[in-house]
Amino acid sequence: MRSDRLRILLAGGVLLAVAGCATSEEWSTWKAHPAHFASGDHMSFSLRNSEGSTARVTRQDVAMARDESWWGKPITVSQDQILER
Amino acid sequence: MSVRRALAGGLVLACLMLVQGAVAAPNEDRLLPIDQHTSDKARTLATTHAGALRELNAGLYHCMPWVEVQKHSIGFFRPKSIDRDDRYLSLRIYIEQDPSPAFARLRVEDRASAMFSRYVGPLLRRMTKDPAVAADPDLDGFTLVLEWMKQAPRTGDRPVHETIAIFIEKATARDYLAGAVPITEMAAKTRVLGFDGETALGAIRLAVWDDNFVKTFKVANYVLDPGVSC
Repeated sequence: MRSDRLRILLAGGVLLAVAGCATSEEWSTWKAHPAHFASGDHMSFSLRNSEGSTARVTRQDVAMARDESWWGKPITVSQDQILER
Repeated sequence: MSVRRALAGGLVLACLMLVQGAVAAPNEDRLLPIDQHTSDKARTLATTHAGALRELNAGLYHCMPWVEVQKHSIGFFRPKSIDRDDRYLSLRIYIEQDPSPAFARLRVEDRASAMFSRYVGPLLRRMTKDPAVAADPDLDGFTLVLEWMKQAPRTGDRPVHETIAIFIEKATARDYLAGAVPITEMAAKTRVLGFDGETALGAIRLAVWDDNFVKTFKVANYVLDPGVSC
């Protein structure tokens, strides 16, 4: 009895977690922005977006995509060539 | 169902809701810590306006998600070219945009003019959102450092950033923000230094215009975090 309830609880949790896998249309939108949204990690995106809904991009998604589309350490002027603290 | 089981179920649901509804927060390390300002004048400014600087950081984070504020770049810095302890409210951003061959083919002055036109007005408005900042007699001006990728790097190459540093005296900024002078006149009174990667290009002259890009550009499908307004 106790293990049945636990199983139901776990199954419910899994269903909630996978309920919103992104549609191919949503992924097209996501991938159409290579510089901003190059992320291959779709965990949070999948959780949030459900079939038939419009894709949603949060600030967290932008930050994650930016980290993953990192071009490498840039050649750029250092702050102390311009400003003194 | 026992109270214990109900609590366990609630905990699982709460965890799932947390994962789905997590609110992103701007990193506080974008602000130069108060004790790292090197003069009493700068530390006083940083202390007095700490709240305004945090709000500036948060506003940029949520409302302009395509720009990245550089670490320790928001603060009351002294422009290198000035010997006395003039303190400018400063901000350095990296502007992320899709690599564009057309943009890369422009002259550096034209790329710089486009970036100045797009960003300087809106950023100045954000930096002076709290009127107490511009009204502070210890504040001498504003510095905006705008940086962008020159062109998409070839495989194995490091990307090269172009940078312009814009120094605006307070009186000039206030005239512009009050609508007393157009952006062209403000730019003419402003010192702009250019950099190609690490190489200084010296002072550059810009041909600027009023540009509503920041007001009109939206990241596709971007939704603000709950409780945030822009």
